[in-house]
Amino acid sequence: MQGIAASQPYVIALFLVWAGLMKLLSRRMRAQAGRTALARLTGQARAVPLLRLVGLVELAVAAAILPPAVRPVGSVAAAVLFTGFVAYLTYSYVSAPASSCGCLGAHSHPVDWRSFARAGLLLAASVASLRSGQEPPAVAVALVEVVVLLGLSAELDRHWLRPLRQFLVRVRQPLAVPSPGEIPLEASLRLLYLSPAYCSASARLTSDVQDTWDEDGLRYVVYAAHERTAVFAVPLGATEPSDVRVVLVEEPALA
Amino acid sequence: MTSRRQMLKSALLGGGATVVAATAMGSLGPEAAFATDRAQEVDPGAPDPNFAEGRIRSIKDNTLLVLGSNLVFHNIRVVDGTSLWKLGPVGFDQAKPGDGLYARGVRMPDGVLAAESVWLNIVNIKGHIKNITSDKIHLDHNGQEVLCHVVAGKSVAVHSDAPASGDLSMLRVSQHVQILGAWRPDTNEVDIATVFSPH
Repeated sequence: MQGIAASQPYVIALFLVWAGLMKLLSRRMRAQAGRTALARLTGQARAVPLLRLVGLVELAVAAAILPPAVRPVGSVAAAVLFTGFVAYLTYSYVSAPASSCGCLGAHSHPVDWRSFARAGLLLAASVASLRSGQEPPAVAVALVEVVVLLGLSAELDRHWLRPLRQFLVRVRQPLAVPSPGEIPLEASLRLLYLSPAYCSASARLTSDVQDTWDEDGLRYVVYAAHERTAVFAVPLGATEPSDVRVVLVEEPALA
Repeated sequence: MTSRRQMLKSALLGGGATVVAATAMGSLGPEAAFATDRAQEVDPGAPDPNFAEGRIRSIKDNTLLVLGSNLVFHNIRVVDGTSLWKLGPVGFDQAKPGDGLYARGVRMPDGVLAAESVWLNIVNIKGHIKNITSDKIHLDHNGQEVLCHVVAGKSVAVHSDAPASGDLSMLRVSQHVQILGAWRPDTNEVDIATVFSPH
C-alpha cells in the first residue's frame, strides 16, 4: 500500500505538468478559451488570463508534490486543486453542457463521465499521496494508473480511440449487407428526384408519395397533383435518371 | 386499390384513362415547371397558413390534434388522398400520439388544415460518425450522441453523385454525414432513411 501511495506524486505531477504546459503554451487552447465553460463562468475577457493562472498553479503544485521535504504541502494543495476541478466540472456539466472543460487541451468534447472519472481518480491519488513515506514507488501500479488516466482523456481520443474504431469497423464490417435484397424505395426516389420527368412535374405536385408498388420490373410511384394524379415509373435497378417516365392522369378524387 | 393501380399503370403505359400530359421522353416539357395553379399567397415573414408543425396530442377519427412548438393547437384532417411519411409512405394507422409532424395542405374556413402531406417524426441532422456498431451509426451532433439505426430494406446511402444504394458499408468512422430519418419519439434515436456522404 505504501508503495502505491509513494507512486502517486509522480502520476499527479505528470498530469499537472501536461495540463499546465498546455494552458501556458498551446495557442490553439488560448484561441478556443472562449468556448470553454471557463469563459461562461468568468466572462470571455477573463478566460485567457485565468487559464494561464490555472496553468501556473498546476505547475507550482507539480513542483511542490515531487520533493519529499514539501510533499505533504504539495499533496494537500493537489487535493484542494482537484476538488476545485471536480466542482468546476459539475458547474460546466450543469450550466454549460455543450462546452468543453478546457482541462488538458483544445477539443470540443463536452464534459461527460470520463471527465469526472479522471478528476475523481486524480483527487483520490492526491489523497493517497498524503500517506506516502520513504518507500520505493510501485512502478507497475503507477503505469496502469497513467494508462487508465490517458484512456479517460477525451483529448487523446483521436490518437487511439478513433483509429481503433476505424480498424474494428474495417475488420468487422458491421454495415455490410449479407445479400443484396430488394431495392429500397428511397433509392428509387433519389433517382426519381434527379429525373427530367420529376423536374418537369414537380411544380404541379401537391403531396408526397401517396402510393407505390412494383410490377413487371417497374416501380410505380403516385403523387397528387392538384385535382390530378401524377404517376411515375422508375425501372428497378436503373441508374439513368432519364429512364424515369411520368404521366398526369385526370381522375376523380379518391373516395 | 388494385383497380386504381391498374388504371394508373395503364395510363402510364398508354392505356385508357384520361391522360392530361405525357411524353415518350418521360418529361412533361419545361413549361410545366412554371405551371403552378397556386399564386404566391403568403407575405414574406408571415406564417404560412397552409403549414403546421408540432406533436400529436390525440387522434380522433381522421383528425389529429397537434400542439405546435409555439404552443398553438392545430386540427389536421387526414383524408384518403393525404400522403403520410414515417420512414417511407405509411397508412394513417401509423400516426401515434407523441409523434412529431410537419403537415402541408389547405386551411379550411373553420380553421382545420386539410392535409395533403404529413411527415411524421422527420429529422434532418448533420454530424460526424463517432462509431459504427452492428446496424447502428453513433452520430456526434454538436457534442450530443444520436443513435442512428440502419433499417434493412429502407435505409440508403448517397455518396457524392453516385446513385443511392442500400449498401451503407462505405461509411467510415470520423467522417461527416447528413442523415435524413425518422426520430423515435422521446429518445435520442433515429431510424435512417438516407445518409448523405460528401465522398
